[in-house]
Amino acid sequence: MSNAVNDIAIVGYAQSPSWRASDLTEPQFLFPVISEAIERAGVERREIGFTCAGSCDYLSGQTFAFVMNLEAVGAWPPISESHVEMDGAWALYEAWVRLQHGDIDTALAFGSGKSSPGVPAEIYPLQMDPYTITPLGADPVSLAALQARAMLDAGKITEREMAEVAARSRKVAVGNPYAQVAGEFDVDELLASPYVTAPLRKHDLPPISDGACAIVLATAEKAKALSDRPVWIRGIDHRIEAHQPGMRDLLSSESTRIAGERAGVGDAKVDVAELSATFSHQEKLLTEALVLEDSVDVNPSGGALAANPVMAVGLARFAEAARAIAERGAHRAVAHATSGQALQQNMVAVLEGD
Amino acid sequence: MSKAEPTEAVDPNAPVTGMDYFMQLDYHELVCPSVRRYRSALIDGKLIGHRCPKCKLVYVPPRGYCPIDTIETTDADEVQLVDRGVIANYTVVTPVQYYGQEETEPFVRVSVILDEPGGTMSLQDVVDIPVDDVHIGQRVEAVWLPPEERDISEIGNRSWGSADGAITGWKLTGEPDVPPDQVPGSAF
Amino acid sequence: MAEQRDTTTHTIEFPYTRTLGAVYSGFLTGLRDGQLLGITSKDGRVLCPPTEWDPTTGDALDVDLVEVGPGGVVETWAWVTEPTRKHPLDRPFAFALIKLDGADTALLHAVDAGSLDAMSTGMRVTARFKDRADRIGHIADIAFIPESGKGEGS
Repeated sequence: MSNAVNDIAIVGYAQSPSWRASDLTEPQFLFPVISEAIERAGVERREIGFTCAGSCDYLSGQTFAFVMNLEAVGAWPPISESHVEMDGAWALYEAWVRLQHGDIDTALAFGSGKSSPGVPAEIYPLQMDPYTITPLGADPVSLAALQARAMLDAGKITEREMAEVAARSRKVAVGNPYAQVAGEFDVDELLASPYVTAPLRKHDLPPISDGACAIVLATAEKAKALSDRPVWIRGIDHRIEAHQPGMRDLLSSESTRIAGERAGVGDAKVDVAELSATFSHQEKLLTEALVLEDSVDVNPSGGALAANPVMAVGLARFAEAARAIAERGAHRAVAHATSGQALQQNMVAVLEGD
Repeated sequence: MSKAEPTEAVDPNAPVTGMDYFMQLDYHELVCPSVRRYRSALIDGKLIGHRCPKCKLVYVPPRGYCPIDTIETTDADEVQLVDRGVIANYTVVTPVQYYGQEETEPFVRVSVILDEPGGTMSLQDVVDIPVDDVHIGQRVEAVWLPPEERDISEIGNRSWGSADGAITGWKLTGEPDVPPDQVPGSAF
Repeated sequence: MAEQRDTTTHTIEFPYTRTLGAVYSGFLTGLRDGQLLGITSKDGRVLCPPTEWDPTTGDALDVDLVEVGPGGVVETWAWVTEPTRKHPLDRPFAFALIKLDGADTALLHAVDAGSLDAMSTGMRVTARFKDRADRIGHIADIAFIPESGKGEGS
């Protein structure tokens, strides 16, 4: 059952390619992405009722980076805008909530990030509990590896299955112009490569990416006026778990399960699921939590293993799910975004064409 | 006094009430093409910017877009700027001795609005102007380092329009002040 | 002359001093004094690392600290082949979730096991405390090592 008071649709979307290291500034590569999303939506930039951005100044290590990103939006005459220090998917959620009031009919949400200048393994420990975890420098790969080890020990996955997810993701990414790591990889060769942080090997990890994504939302009447193929957000929800990894169940993604139920994933057949499985073992945790059947096309874009523009990668799953519906004939899709380490916080949305 | 060492407990048996953490992150960023162009012009003793074809605002260094009109700007919009203008704004900073602070005496940062075609140089230093004498309306010109001493390798994407390594600061031209009501109001 | 793909380097650094509050003060003072402590929740579970609020119910917790460990069981682990400069050890080591004896939750910490082959889920480890003179009341006052003579837990 849809949990929306007012039906909201995606009427425009755009992404940058993901690059290992862009020599453009974040506003510079964000600029054409926002322009393209707005143009696709067919709205006038200055008529957009609300703008929300998702980004994290720590990524590029620049104070007020998120303020400078507004130069890519155009904030004169003054606009109504907000910012979340989170993936653009949460900016979309805030925009969706804002549109529920009914007094405005369009909103712009975007996410952007430059992961290339910094050292992610050193940056992200600063997000963790400052007394017990940050001083140990516990990094995202180590925390994900703890989760993978638990799954292996419980017989929920094998290293081969993890490599197969990685190989499949990068193979389908060949067809995605925005993907960064794409190509054919032999699973046995992947398994012969050394551990980075056991049990994770390089192929189990996401790439380091710079990139951006933007989406334009509209309320029902406006959406129908703007587009022949609006992509409806039938349900959207997000849930968070405890912070300490030792106080969580790493073998299941309970927050994803609840968010998926609240968003109505199980109400009808799902054609496509774009999931922010940043590490290869996480895909299975997510498909199980969402109770997705084997027939679902998971990550036809290649997902986060093919391109991981942190702060935009979750929103890009919305864009890819919308793309599957608007351009490739899918009817109903799931988009998933995540935040924190080892799937601590998860957002699930159900998108549907007419 | 810069605080670089962790605090020590005086009584080794008293409860621990604080935890020190020295955070340190390094970032290595590729310099974007428009700033590379800007800083290589500084080596040649030139200031360049982009002028928006629509609103005519001049951005120095060039950004590759006009944020007011939200249109891209390109090499075709490049303008060579004049290295003299008027102090339009300033602030006197009294340094607080936090970690990393190198200044000990009050210092000034000025915004200079350049003569036609325009452009605003922000957060600039002054040369041979006592801090207490700085005021809006003063006519100033750039003091360049000798060509062989110029080094722009520290100028990057986040330099906020700095010309460090090429221009030392701005000195009085000797011309009469511009009356304050004729100085364009601008900081950036 | 500027090269085509120049970079600039920026360092952000600052020395923070954080106040601890009663719970973390108790926990870190315990480490300085050679003890591992957990906190008792309203329903009698012992949480280690201690938290100020019960993560399940949200209840504010009384500062009721009890000793746990120093030994415990590895519930899951990850072998770090190339430590970063932020890691607690400068040689390969394991991060692990360790359920200390007497605790109902697991503590994230480092196991100085020497090699990947020495690690296994279910193994017992024990806290190795730095010399008293080097302990300041900090999570890195300890690291864990395999409990001598013990293999995988039964």
